[in-house]
Amino acid sequence: MPGQTGLFQALKWPYVEGLRLDEARHPLTILATGLYDETLPNQNGAPLRLVVPWKYGFKGIKSIVKITLTENEPPCTWKMSAPSEYGFYANVNPEVDHPRWSQATERRIGEANGLFGGARMNTLPFNGYANEVASLYAGMDLRANY
Amino acid sequence: MPAWISGRITDHGDRPQLPPARCRHLAALHHRSRAGPLVFLSGVTAQLGADPVRTFEHALGLWALRFLCLGLAITPLRDLAGINLIAYRRALGPARLLLCAGAFRRLPDARPRTDPVVDRRRHTQAALYHAGHGRADHADPLALTSNRWSIRKLGPRWTTLHKLAYPILLAAVLHYVLSIKSITLEPVFYLTVVTLLLGYRLVRPFIMERKRARKKAGTMATASGGKA
Repeated sequence: MPGQTGLFQALKWPYVEGLRLDEARHPLTILATGLYDETLPNQNGAPLRLVVPWKYGFKGIKSIVKITLTENEPPCTWKMSAPSEYGFYANVNPEVDHPRWSQATERRIGEANGLFGGARMNTLPFNGYANEVASLYAGMDLRANY
Repeated sequence: MPAWISGRITDHGDRPQLPPARCRHLAALHHRSRAGPLVFLSGVTAQLGADPVRTFEHALGLWALRFLCLGLAITPLRDLAGINLIAYRRALGPARLLLCAGAFRRLPDARPRTDPVVDRRRHTQAALYHAGHGRADHADPLALTSNRWSIRKLGPRWTTLHKLAYPILLAAVLHYVLSIKSITLEPVFYLTVVTLLLGYRLVRPFIMERKRARKKAGTMATASGGKA
């Protein structure tokens, strides 16, 4: 695949991602085949793309070619690439900062046009889906399992 | 025991995106023409893509880094290649100021909806990453004094003050490398350039000494040759 070989690759290819089975079966988790009522374009991850709305974007693996059911926690590309910066869960959590930048605030894309569009706002736990998904992680230390 | 499910792809996945070339060219045009803040204008009129604030900050920050590098490349060019561009060096200062101001003053965040406690945390954490912000503030005195009046007024202190360019460039490249997700060819390129530019300052006294010695030997040889 072009762009995935040569020196100084951003990541080790192919890209792999994983979910716990209860996360994967949650009604909010979808495998997308389309976008805005159109067939999913290549750049958005055709033919099949994972969407997990309460997790950071890198969990949403694109262009899936293989799905495996495993007994143990599967490897994830970003976790393998920088384990201190990216964890397996990657739940949106304003309390846990990326070691190099804060994740406490966000600028919403598409709220308005141009530079004076969306101002920064506080990021919500689980990206605003806490009522729906927080129970999946009951009793877990979300600082340790970031 | 929990069960897990995993996927695998062969496509590009979530590679970090660079600002589109179009925006970088706009920033270049912006400087070259000195016709005013074109990048800013294109941001206001929604020409900078899905995340205009980010594109704006990144484009201007990257150009600030490039101009810092250009400023420090002038001496090695003169020493080693005999190309003298020193007349243009001071002109790079105000250009940097414009870029730094745009990239770091956060004009677009004039009306934040975040709470002050969170904001403070956002600005105080990750000291190294924020080195770049400090760099912008330090670059201001350099840019503001990049004119004849300041050179006259400050005298020898001007040279001392402008030695700040070295730590500023170091902070700038650190800021750049630390603010991207992974090390690809582009940050490696900038790191190499900065290492060469700063490293040259370490070996420069020896190179110049040798050059002077050779020149002196040359003149002496000519002089003695003339006598004989």
